[in-house]
Amino acid sequence: MVKSTSMALAVLIGLSAVSAHAQDVPTLTIYTYDGFAAEWGPGPQLSAAFEPVCGCKLTWVAADSSIGTLRRVQLEGATTEADLIVGLDTAIAGEARATGLFADHGLTLDKLALPEAWTDAQFVPFDYSHFAFMYDTDRTATPPKSFEELIAMPEDFKIVVQDPRSATPGLGLVLWIKAAYGNRASEIWAGLKPRILTVTREWSESYSLFLDGEADMALSYTTSPAYHIIEDKDETIKAALFEEGHYPQIEVAGILKSSDQQELAKQFLAWFASPEGQKIIPTTNWMFPVVDLGADLNPAFAGLPQPGKTLQLSDEDILANSSAWIDEMLAAVQ
Amino acid sequence: MGAFVPTNLLPHRPARIAVSSVLAIAIAGLIAAVLWAILDAATEPSSASRVDIPHLLRMTAIQAGLTTVLSLAVGTALAWALNRLRFPGRDLVVGLFAAAIVTPGMVVAFGLLSIWGRNGWINQTSEALFGFSLGNPAFGLSGILLAHVILDGAFAARILLARLDAIPATRLKVGQSLALSATQRFALIDWPAMRSNLPGLGAIIFLLAFTSFPIVLLLGGGPANQTLEVAIYSAVRLDFDLVGAVRLALTQIAVCAVVILLASASTPVVSVHGRSVAPSWRDAVPAQALQWIILLLATVGFALPLLSVLIDGIASGFGRVLAQPTFWWSLVTSLLIGSASAVLTLLLALALTLGRAASGARPVRILLGTPSFAYLAVPAVVLSLGFFLIVRNLGVAPAQAAPVVVIIANSLLALPFAVATLGPPLDAMVRARGKLIRSLGLSGWQQFWRVEYPLLGKDIGLMLALAFCFSLGDLGVIALFGTQDFQTLPLMMFRALGAYRSNDAAAIAAILLIGTILAFVGLPRLFERIAHASR
Repeated sequence: MVKSTSMALAVLIGLSAVSAHAQDVPTLTIYTYDGFAAEWGPGPQLSAAFEPVCGCKLTWVAADSSIGTLRRVQLEGATTEADLIVGLDTAIAGEARATGLFADHGLTLDKLALPEAWTDAQFVPFDYSHFAFMYDTDRTATPPKSFEELIAMPEDFKIVVQDPRSATPGLGLVLWIKAAYGNRASEIWAGLKPRILTVTREWSESYSLFLDGEADMALSYTTSPAYHIIEDKDETIKAALFEEGHYPQIEVAGILKSSDQQELAKQFLAWFASPEGQKIIPTTNWMFPVVDLGADLNPAFAGLPQPGKTLQLSDEDILANSSAWIDEMLAAVQ
Repeated sequence: MGAFVPTNLLPHRPARIAVSSVLAIAIAGLIAAVLWAILDAATEPSSASRVDIPHLLRMTAIQAGLTTVLSLAVGTALAWALNRLRFPGRDLVVGLFAAAIVTPGMVVAFGLLSIWGRNGWINQTSEALFGFSLGNPAFGLSGILLAHVILDGAFAARILLARLDAIPATRLKVGQSLALSATQRFALIDWPAMRSNLPGLGAIIFLLAFTSFPIVLLLGGGPANQTLEVAIYSAVRLDFDLVGAVRLALTQIAVCAVVILLASASTPVVSVHGRSVAPSWRDAVPAQALQWIILLLATVGFALPLLSVLIDGIASGFGRVLAQPTFWWSLVTSLLIGSASAVLTLLLALALTLGRAASGARPVRILLGTPSFAYLAVPAVVLSLGFFLIVRNLGVAPAQAAPVVVIIANSLLALPFAVATLGPPLDAMVRARGKLIRSLGLSGWQQFWRVEYPLLGKDIGLMLALAFCFSLGDLGVIALFGTQDFQTLPLMMFRALGAYRSNDAAAIAAILLIGTILAFVGLPRLFERIAHASR
């Protein structure tokens, strides 16, 4: 009883005292999404590895989602405490850039191992994966090898996807189909409609439906099987590779112009995109690193099949058209 | 029966009416401040809305209307059956039913799927026995309705059961001596006791169904079945069209206001309240058979999905979760927030309902009833954005304000439930005993401690259980505040789900459910005892 009371007090006090005694060392305040800052996410390990290098302190401030971090910074404008945002992705990078809140990173990023060449002046990539549909080899012996094969699957073959308005992969699928099929996208969506069991709000709901056997495939990432191999010793969950090619999610970080720690922020990004920072990513965020880690990459990742072709859309194209593409998708599956 | 009591028979309590008026206006002011803060932050004019509002409203109204009617019908039948039947484990069953509404909706939905889904218990049994599957009834409008009725119908049953259990023994004795048939007994004794709760319950259920978001998307089968809430979420987060979001939110509030006003304007019903007693009056055999059938169906429909949540949790093993320090911190945080919110909810609800019961004027009753319900109609994503802006405008660091904001926001969310639980019995009591209170010349305090509180004990316990469980940790309202150091059990569960850790999530869901059931079994009993001991 005494213990629980003192814990209770500690919670209340701790909440207000978190940032009390860190005034003597420089602090980088980083906005991110909650999974990134979670105790099993990359945040704590990145802090532990980088703080001795820089003689500084990293403070993670987690919003509920990636887009939430951007919206918070937009609302706060020049008065934001954030020095950096970690966890935007290429689907919203164009919109983030258009806010004019982000500074140039000034880094030379020529040692990256990404599916596409990196030329972005404001955003530094820190992990990536391709969107893909997961299947279970125990339940599905021959998975579809393209959207058209998926459309032609039997009546009771069901997939789950996410709403593009609330979940990153949901938006990713809209971009994927648009990049692969252009003007035929609406036709592909209409073809997929009978296959779609439901459109969930979050990725986790789709993935749970798939794991529970309620659906045969779920929209996720090519790196998802690595989790099951490493944590569950389960090799039956696989990503179906499509002949059209796959659209990537590249997660990025950027420095805010309003930050008074520009140099330190650059130092962090340079370190984060180096092998020292990158080796933390795969088994905490379950994505591929953006550099070649060689033997430091967990073999479960090294052995994952990779798409033959990476599809691309420009930031400008996404910024100008994503609303219309989402409406096109919603109308087709309505 | 149900005659409107002339105002001059009510005890004169201007202070009660004044306090509750101030509260009601403060809540209305908070809602206005949330919307204003968002409009104030909007830098660009709204882009043309891409939302087909009439279509969405039509779909949502149909779904919410069906949910309300079904839930009230199922709740009434189940309360009737539970009031009559006595069997071992009855308290647990009652607790389990009540637990549904405060369990995170996603947990209930996945429980539902593990029974009714393609790979659920029923289809697995059917395939093992008969070699074919029964298909998948859990998706589409039927799935949404099923999930909502599990949540809301069982909740309605719990509240209505409290009313039936409060029918005084003397009244039952008179009925028994008149040899009323089961139908007459329901019409003359049960129905008058329950019907004053129906408007408030109906309004809550309608609002919950109208604003339901994850369940509608999960079980709806696609954007064809969706609510205005998802469009608002999209306007706030994806399009960052703040003016458009406020406009959509106002549309939602306006539509819900029709239902809220109907509920707030409802006439109080006079009925007498007593302590619950074990019934000695049994219905005729056909009625008893019907009661058992209702109970059996409700158990299969409502209790099995929750049972499957428990079984999933046990199968996943609690060891890994219990070994995480985060779990214990989250537990403590949840308990603190739940307790603080429950106490605040109780204070607000008592102030509002005592003042409302003291007034016989319909406009005053509407004024006092509407704001607490209106808060339920404000989209969660709008609340979270508005609270963030208000806290910032006040110059407070969001991370430090977070616990206070969560407690206030959760109390306000639980408030309509508390008002719907406490309001009708208070109305009835004042109207049945108003004359007596006046002739004894009791002061307001004496009226509360000697008349109202002793008879309300069990209802207060039920309401505290509701508010406590409701507030264990929905942190949606602080979505933008920076939540990494501030974790509750439900949040820990969703984070685990979002990081592939479905076993951890299953274990936490089971722990939450067990705690909720314990609260619902224990708190009403505890408070009934305290209320009677203090007499």
